Amino acid sequence: MNDRLVLDHDWCSTPLPSNVEIGERSWLYSSFAFVHYRSERPCGVRIGHDSGIYIGTYFELGPRGEVDIGNFCTVAGPIISTNSRVEIGDYALISFHVVIADSFAAVPPTSEAEGARGGSVGAPPTAGTPGTPPTAVVIGENAWIGARAVLLAGARIGEGAIVGAASVVDFDVPPYAVVAGTPARVVGWARPGQRPEPSRGRPPRRVGP
Amino acid sequence: MSVIDLTNVRDGGIVPTNVVLGDGCRLELVKESFERFRSTLEPGLLLGRDVSVYCWSRFSVEPDGLIEVGADTVLVGALFMCAEKISIGERVVISYNVTIADCDFHPRDPELRKRDAVASAPGGDESKRPSLVSRPVVIEDDVWVGIGAIVLKGVRIGAGARIGAGAVVTTDVPAGATVAGNPARFVDEGEPRP
Repeated sequence: MNDRLVLDHDWCSTPLPSNVEIGERSWLYSSFAFVHYRSERPCGVRIGHDSGIYIGTYFELGPRGEVDIGNFCTVAGPIISTNSRVEIGDYALISFHVVIADSFAAVPPTSEAEGARGGSVGAPPTAGTPGTPPTAVVIGENAWIGARAVLLAGARIGEGAIVGAASVVDFDVPPYAVVAGTPARVVGWARPGQRPEPSRGRPPRRVGP
Repeated sequence: MSVIDLTNVRDGGIVPTNVVLGDGCRLELVKESFERFRSTLEPGLLLGRDVSVYCWSRFSVEPDGLIEVGADTVLVGALFMCAEKISIGERVVISYNVTIADCDFHPRDPELRKRDAVASAPGGDESKRPSLVSRPVVIEDDVWVGIGAIVLKGVRIGAGARIGAGAVVTTDVPAGATVAGNPARFVDEGEPRP
């Protein structure tokens, strides 16, 4: 727990909620990510070390909502809307305009009654150990979620798996699977050490500075 | 090419020097549209005559990237993610929230992607990022790209084709065809080809 941390670079003057933990060398774009945050859990959002949480990311958590982000994650702007638990493993890469949600409600409900009105979507969250909220979505270590994908309750993305752009997933994706489409289907596999995809005669090009 | 008339630019941004604007081009929010424009090519962006670039459009171009846009094209809300080359024809209309990318920008191989994650972490050494594959995107004349569509690397969309709202285009679209869905499938296959 921190004492209402204020980020040095922040344009938004609101301090971070007290039940947010950010690891060493990790970067968060703004406290505005918590504009609709209502988590009352001991630790509502935990961010490991060396992870980047970039502009467009929003933690829309209800009172029981909990998000756990690992180390070396690149979180480039998903909306995470839950009143349950969402886990994101080390090295995970989440692209822009992604939505991770277990409710239709724009902001997760405050009570079971509101939850009924908001309506849950996809598979029901699985029960956790007593005291912890059920786990709605798991993104495995080193998984890659493409731009505008939608992950609903019940999505379990295996280690190293790839979810294609604009796909909708509410089921188990096996490790190293490549899924795409609406609804998403397995369209390929990305095994460790596999050769890069054929480049149609072009040499690989460097991207970046 | 004429002297750039910025009287219709509202945010006071400055168009990068390696951008060529044709006569009658309209840009609305230069600062936002070029925030991630990093091309070092001459030119890195070529807009033809009377091209309209609305405020939601973004030219996110890597150092070796080049975007060409033909005359009379309307870019309403196109996000270009360009590592190599994206070519847009004449009289094309690209709607709101459309993404056009000629590269995935991260490796598919899980081990390489871990290295990519470490190199691109805050404070990481970006020069250690693994190299990537890009394939140019070509959108020919008179194409309409619907709201929220995504066009991925290596795709050529033939002249006069229609791309439905929300489509994810992963393969070539023949001239005159209409496609929709994720992944995009034919709604109308267009003229039978000779």
